[in-house]
Amino acid sequence: MTTELDRETATKLAISLVGVSKSYKHFNLRNINFAVERGTVAGLIGPNGAGKSTTMRILMGLVQPDSGSVATLGKAISSSEAAAKKDIGYFSDDMRLYKPETIGWHMQFVRSLYPSWDEAYATQLLDRFGLIQQQVVKGLSHGQRVKAMLLLILARRPKLLILDEPTNGLDPVAKQEILTELMRIVEDDSRTILYSSHNTQDVEQISDSITFIDRGQVIASSNRDDFLEKWKFIKLHAPEAWKVPIVQGLRLESCHRNLHVLSFSQFGGELPNELQEPGVVIESIEKMTLEEIFVSSVMRGREEGQ
Amino acid sequence: MNLQAIRILFLKDLFLSRRPLFAYFVAGLAASAIVCIPNPTFSFVGFILVVTVAIASGIHLIGTLLLAETTDQTRLFVMSLPVSLLDYAIGKISVVLTTYLIPWSAMFASLMIVTFVMGKQGNAAVLPTIFFFLLGAFTLQLVTAVISESVGMTICVMVGCNVGLNVFMMMLFENEEVSALSKSNVLTWPTVVFQIIGVELLVIAVALVMAFLFQTRNRDLV
Repeated sequence: MTTELDRETATKLAISLVGVSKSYKHFNLRNINFAVERGTVAGLIGPNGAGKSTTMRILMGLVQPDSGSVATLGKAISSSEAAAKKDIGYFSDDMRLYKPETIGWHMQFVRSLYPSWDEAYATQLLDRFGLIQQQVVKGLSHGQRVKAMLLLILARRPKLLILDEPTNGLDPVAKQEILTELMRIVEDDSRTILYSSHNTQDVEQISDSITFIDRGQVIASSNRDDFLEKWKFIKLHAPEAWKVPIVQGLRLESCHRNLHVLSFSQFGGELPNELQEPGVVIESIEKMTLEEIFVSSVMRGREEGQ
Repeated sequence: MNLQAIRILFLKDLFLSRRPLFAYFVAGLAASAIVCIPNPTFSFVGFILVVTVAIASGIHLIGTLLLAETTDQTRLFVMSLPVSLLDYAIGKISVVLTTYLIPWSAMFASLMIVTFVMGKQGNAAVLPTIFFFLLGAFTLQLVTAVISESVGMTICVMVGCNVGLNVFMMMLFENEEVSALSKSNVLTWPTVVFQIIGVELLVIAVALVMAFLFQTRNRDLV
């Protein structure tokens, strides 16, 4: 029964990381657990050096974890590395193409490894991204290079896309072109995207679920709408000496004279009773942006760590 | 092991190295041609040029095909494709070796022909010891590059091999049998030549096995 359930869960999941750890000299990825359902877009948000790229490289089998288990599209990546990668499109900002060769040469090279290569779609992408097959990689701008790499990934129609900071350093137009293309892909329910960035706006635009990572640890993971629904800023007036009550999910963000700004991560329509005391006047309850939620989550995680 | 993937990776690298490969092939033939000029100075300069081409092509091809893949960050691109570590290791080591062997074989074959044309057949038994030394030095540089992924370390080994080559040639020609053979117009195969070639082949085999083992045992590819 358990095995059947496990199998059912495995087929529902595009990505599964259980208890994954990896140690480097100056950085540790600690007990990473998260899963991404098939047909969804998951955002992985973290500051620079948080462990996003290491996590994604572990998912691709490029880095072996010290402990824990990793599966992509129901396959353990370590035991069937090449076969598992057939259906995965991986992009990393650190990835480079061969400088002296043309985009067309790269297309031919990737096509030879993928029977699923879609030539018509590749031609469409060349047109949409404003690229020319004869362009030599050495002469491409950063934006064109990113687009060329995405073309090489998308034209093989992978079932899972692992994109490590694809919009990093792009101008707003190029960024929008790429996000639009990703949103087109999302229309196909069978395809899954894991998208990492430190730019919350990009992730918010296309993600169904979001995971925050900081200093090698997952600090929060939830549905995007749940994050936006449950996290609120509470602005209140209280005497300067007022102490923030100990309530789970409540944190003092800033205090200026008697105006206190609190963040609350478990808002369900009503305020905690502890805030409804004499001398405390609630000024407003405001929505938080994903960026504000992310920053607050990171700060909370770091405080707990201390 | 995916033979199709290995073939594609091999052809990709062969194509990427086409320009230096052609240049070293032509330079090797040109150096061998200089050896043919019936003048001791030209023959000596030609031979020095042959050795130089062999050394330069080795370090250049290791740098272009192996080390540059890490520094240029193209390895991440290749390893994101459906290629296993085993496929990558076989493809990479075989293409580096093949590209080196093309100018090496051309120079070796042309010098062997030259020895017969110039009536110094005895040298035909000495030349293999020098050429297999060069191949051995190349495989040592290859294994260093695979293990260390460092340009500096590989250059250090190259310098060591070059010093070793000079010492080797000095000792080789101090050997009475070899010295006599190099001046003779009769081809004979003394035991010492077989012993030297045997040791050189052993070094080559051990270095290649080590390069392959280290490449496949590498847990983190990027």
